Amino acid sequence: MIIAEWKPIPELVSMLKGHKSVLLVGCATCVAECAAGGEREVETLAPLLRMALKTEGVSVEIKRKTIERQCEWEFVEALAGEIEEVDAVLSIACGIGVQALSERFAHLPVYPGVNTTSLAIREQPGLWTARCAACGDCVLGETFGLCPVARCAKSLMNGPCGGTRHNGMCEVDENVECVWNLIYERAKARGELQKLYEVRRAKNWSNSAHGGPKRMLREDLRP
Amino acid sequence: MSAVEKQGEYQPEIVVLYCRNCLTPGIDPPSGVLAAGGIVAKYVPMPCSSKVEPSHLMKILERGADGVEVVGCPDGQCGFLDGNRRADKRVTRLRSLLAEIKLGEERLCMNRGTRLTSEALFALAQKRARAVAGLGPNPMKGVNR
Ligand code: SF4
Ligand code: SF4
Repeated sequence: MIIAEWKPIPELVSMLKGHKSVLLVGCATCVAECAAGGEREVETLAPLLRMALKTEGVSVEIKRKTIERQCEWEFVEALAGEIEEVDAVLSIACGIGVQALSERFAHLPVYPGVNTTSLAIREQPGLWTARCAACGDCVLGETFGLCPVARCAKSLMNGPCGGTRHNGMCEVDENVECVWNLIYERAKARGELQKLYEVRRAKNWSNSAHGGPKRMLREDLRP
Repeated sequence: MSAVEKQGEYQPEIVVLYCRNCLTPGIDPPSGVLAAGGIVAKYVPMPCSSKVEPSHLMKILERGADGVEVVGCPDGQCGFLDGNRRADKRVTRLRSLLAEIKLGEERLCMNRGTRLTSEALFALAQKRARAVAGLGPNPMKGVNR
């Protein structure tokens, strides 16, 4: 899922100052799963914002609504009525949702209420960790199902950096496991350590963010 | 007219959300409003302290309560294993958000108890009232939404 976390409330307050009425919009998909932008979070953030604005002596009406997905036009359309009554939108969906709203309702400012951080998994209750960086040329088949692009602090492709801690944690962050150590351990457990010696084809980075904005076209699905 | 208005002077309004299992067995669970000793306590019995949702706690403060007291069973004695710890963690996070928005983290707190009497619950409400005394009335009091 795409994960995100609330921006600091003072940052949100400074965005909303000067508006009369703001629609706080949640998204019931990825950001609901990571407890940042679903209906529960809308219902918690709305009163917090009202109180924060009040303590600053500012009066802004906060309306609220959660839609199924902010990244699909059909669901976004459900906001058309409410949008008429406000002069700004605060979206707590991922950056895709925020952009969908600001494209559909371009006459209004649409502010991001969260920072979108990564494509992650819920590793444990309350702990989400990155799993994919959408690099556009997946190497999981060669790395025993562990992603060195998203999970190595240096995105190293050919083995550990040499700084791995003795307990197997990354030298950059002691709370993150060195993915190359994990790759090594999994290869060893499968009895396939020799595979790590194989010379691999060069990775096509031009299909990643380095190649400019991505676009996917499927003629068979087009109108 | 609320008890607060009748008195004509500020009396801290404290909402006490408590787990029924914290009470002395057999006593009537306090509910409703008790205005006494310069405070107004509003009781909300719950089947477990983990029933407190962040959104509910924030709405109570948004509607003008001066303080919210969550009461759960002692650590390790939750009838639902770790409901009280979950409640505690939610309260801890919300307290830091209340500090961030400068409403005052003391407006929300969790305490533990067992075999509590209704007097003991009221004493917890009084303790919360003392903790918020320095903050003054909740600025949300009387705000129409
Ligand atoms: S190799 Fe690329 S596509 Fe595959 S999981 Fe890693 S970042 Fe994602
Ligand atoms: S310790 Fe491991 S995960 Fe961390 S930067 Fe080095 S190789 Fe990458």
